[in-house]
Amino acid sequence: MSQQVQEFFTALATRRYEPLLHSVSGTVRWNIEGEGYWNVVINKGAITVNRDAMLPDSVMSCSEDTFLALARGVQNPLTAFLQGKLAIQGNIGLAHVFQRVFENQPGKSTHMASSRRES
Amino acid sequence: MSENTISILEGNTFVVSDRRGNIDASTSEPTGLFSWDTRFLSRWVLALDGKQLAILSTDELDSYFSAQFFLAPGTGTTYVDADLSVIRKRSVGNGFHEDLTIANHKEQPVDFQVRLDVAADFADLFEVKDALPKKGTYFHHIEDRLLILGYRREGYVRETWISTTAQAAIDEHGFTFSVHIEPHKEWHACLEVDVEISNMHILHNAVRYQHSALRVRPDMQLGLAKWHQDAPEITSGWPWLGRIYQRSLVDLAALRFHSYLVPGGALPAAGLPWFMTIFGRDSLLTGLQALPFYPEILETTLRQLALQQGTRYDDFRDEEPGKILHEVRFGEMTAFEERPHSPYYGAADSTPLFLVCLDEYERWTGNENLVRELEMEARTALTWIDTSGDLNGDGYVEYDRRNKETGLENQCWKDSWNSILFADGSLARRPLAVCEIQGYVYDAKVRCARLARTFWGDPELARRLEKEAAELKRHFNQDFWVEQREFFALALDGDGRQVDSLTSNIGHLLWSGIVEKEKAEACKRHLMSDQLFSGWGIRTMAEGEGGYNPLGYHIGTVWPHDNSIIALGLRRYGYDEEAARIALAMLEAARFFEGRLPEAFAGYARNLTGFPVEYPTACSPQAWATGTPLLLIRTMLGLEPVGDRLTAHPVVPKTLGYLQMSGIPGRWGHTDIFGKGRVVVPESVDHLERLMI
Repeated sequence: MSQQVQEFFTALATRRYEPLLHSVSGTVRWNIEGEGYWNVVINKGAITVNRDAMLPDSVMSCSEDTFLALARGVQNPLTAFLQGKLAIQGNIGLAHVFQRVFENQPGKSTHMASSRRES
Repeated sequence: MSENTISILEGNTFVVSDRRGNIDASTSEPTGLFSWDTRFLSRWVLALDGKQLAILSTDELDSYFSAQFFLAPGTGTTYVDADLSVIRKRSVGNGFHEDLTIANHKEQPVDFQVRLDVAADFADLFEVKDALPKKGTYFHHIEDRLLILGYRREGYVRETWISTTAQAAIDEHGFTFSVHIEPHKEWHACLEVDVEISNMHILHNAVRYQHSALRVRPDMQLGLAKWHQDAPEITSGWPWLGRIYQRSLVDLAALRFHSYLVPGGALPAAGLPWFMTIFGRDSLLTGLQALPFYPEILETTLRQLALQQGTRYDDFRDEEPGKILHEVRFGEMTAFEERPHSPYYGAADSTPLFLVCLDEYERWTGNENLVRELEMEARTALTWIDTSGDLNGDGYVEYDRRNKETGLENQCWKDSWNSILFADGSLARRPLAVCEIQGYVYDAKVRCARLARTFWGDPELARRLEKEAAELKRHFNQDFWVEQREFFALALDGDGRQVDSLTSNIGHLLWSGIVEKEKAEACKRHLMSDQLFSGWGIRTMAEGEGGYNPLGYHIGTVWPHDNSIIALGLRRYGYDEEAARIALAMLEAARFFEGRLPEAFAGYARNLTGFPVEYPTACSPQAWATGTPLLLIRTMLGLEPVGDRLTAHPVVPKTLGYLQMSGIPGRWGHTDIFGKGRVVVPESVDHLERLMI
């Protein structure tokens, strides 16, 4: 069992509410190769996590590496999907919106590299 | 699109073929079956006994998603063998379905071979546009009555499944049917083309084709019949208006894009063939143009854009927290991050326009729930305007680009690299504070003050926004005003210099309300001058400016949507007859395009060419050109919601006789407005025709 994957979902469950998902409802199942699945139930931004047998609206399947890259915010979910690294069954929209629960990419400046004119 | 091609489309899937129904794509020709920004068929050519077919006629039917091709053996130039006829009926859905029927008109049985050549190059639309080579490998499988063409690059796999109901010899380049037909009988085959994306298990069941007695058609989720039923009725004394209006309704239906984020909702894609995708700016402005007709388009657009609002700093995608996206793409180059469209946020105007549209939507529909639901997104957008949007803290929104390689050079609606020019024709350098964006910001703040006070229970925010808007207006009218020539500069460059070309952008300023009353008259004078007004519409850049080119994409051509916004702006400042004149010029131009205004046409003067000259690679239909007649109708009738009522101050060109709009949806339920034609427009075609009689 991957420590990091479990840690992600444990942390997600303790977050309870994600304001950026305030208009989103649906159940997303993450199917991580070799790790089994986690259901993330989103109800207007309120988040619960379980590993029960239930019918999700959207199933996302990927390798552990891909998942951890997504979770760290270094892999864009849409390009992962288009490249075939992330398979989605059901509602594609939830996959995109789920990006909002992942971390922001590190190392990107809040200020533009050159906001004065280029020479 | 060329008049030699036939396009049928549904959402982001479309088929462009020649008038025989054939697809024979070269690297630079955008013919083919396209879906998800990828060309899934680049060859689809029908031949009888090795000979190409001649066209008898082509019928686009009564819809945007199907077409019929009537053909016969022979070259079509010397003779046509009338003993056989060939009919291809095609409907687009998830891929397309083609019914092929061959009739034998002879007294004797006939035997011949039908060959269908097929190929798929799986080109990304960006590759077609820029003629770039592929990086992956091709493969194929042949099964019973099925040919699968495929392309693979690492985990990126795209396939085209071509199946047939008739017995055929199949090779990797196509199908050969050995056909025998008895006298006066027919031979029939169905061909089904499906696009397949291996890890997306929603295909092969998205659209079902139903054979009826008359024709095969996909079972569309949003029926065209209901679409027409819901539309307000337009009548006038000018027969062309009805035709233009119907064309707009059908094209707008065709450009609807089923939202994958807002279930059951549809929003407009930007245009065929290059822009069958969501664009923040284009989708918002089209939704705004269509607001008095189909308010739900703007609602879906606002919801979807809110869900995709930027949340992080991402240089590659030009993303910043609170920013509304520019464009989303799904092709191979986006997949491998060779292009930033996943989504791309390189637009500085889509964020204030989002706020303007949110308020305008509520004013028309009274749907305050949406305003309450999107409060957080609206506040984040306001914060973007004052923080990331204002790069140097001077109080104006300016743009540079974080993505120095594939980001857009210009992030306003005139987004070609050479659009922002000084009067001497030299290129202005970033960062650029383009004038109309300051107008949109002003309008957004004024409107959000209303929303804050009325719906968000935040009078403090309302007061702050009103104060900021007033300051912005004061500074703008000083800093952007070109004193000597009496108009607003196109932009301020990175050194605060005025980019001093005379352009159509000043018309957007009238729409936004940022123009001080005493400066409006000069703006109107410039807009209606021979330098800007070609007789068909207002040019993007005035004749006589150093950079002017009547065929320059954003530096001299006439853009219908630009004109529709300018006409609305002229009315805002009381220049009603000028607005009517522009409206009529546009509608008369549409006559030359069979009722369908293109994205842009050349800036040649009306008295020089006598007809509007189409811009060579213009998109058609293009969403905001499609929306243009709708906004012009609103503008001619002077429709404005005030409280719970719809007010009207019709100023209608005499050419139209009268203009009536019935069943206008809004917070008032449905209402009808009538306006009598009274404005005489001297250059009107009909006026001239009457003079000649």
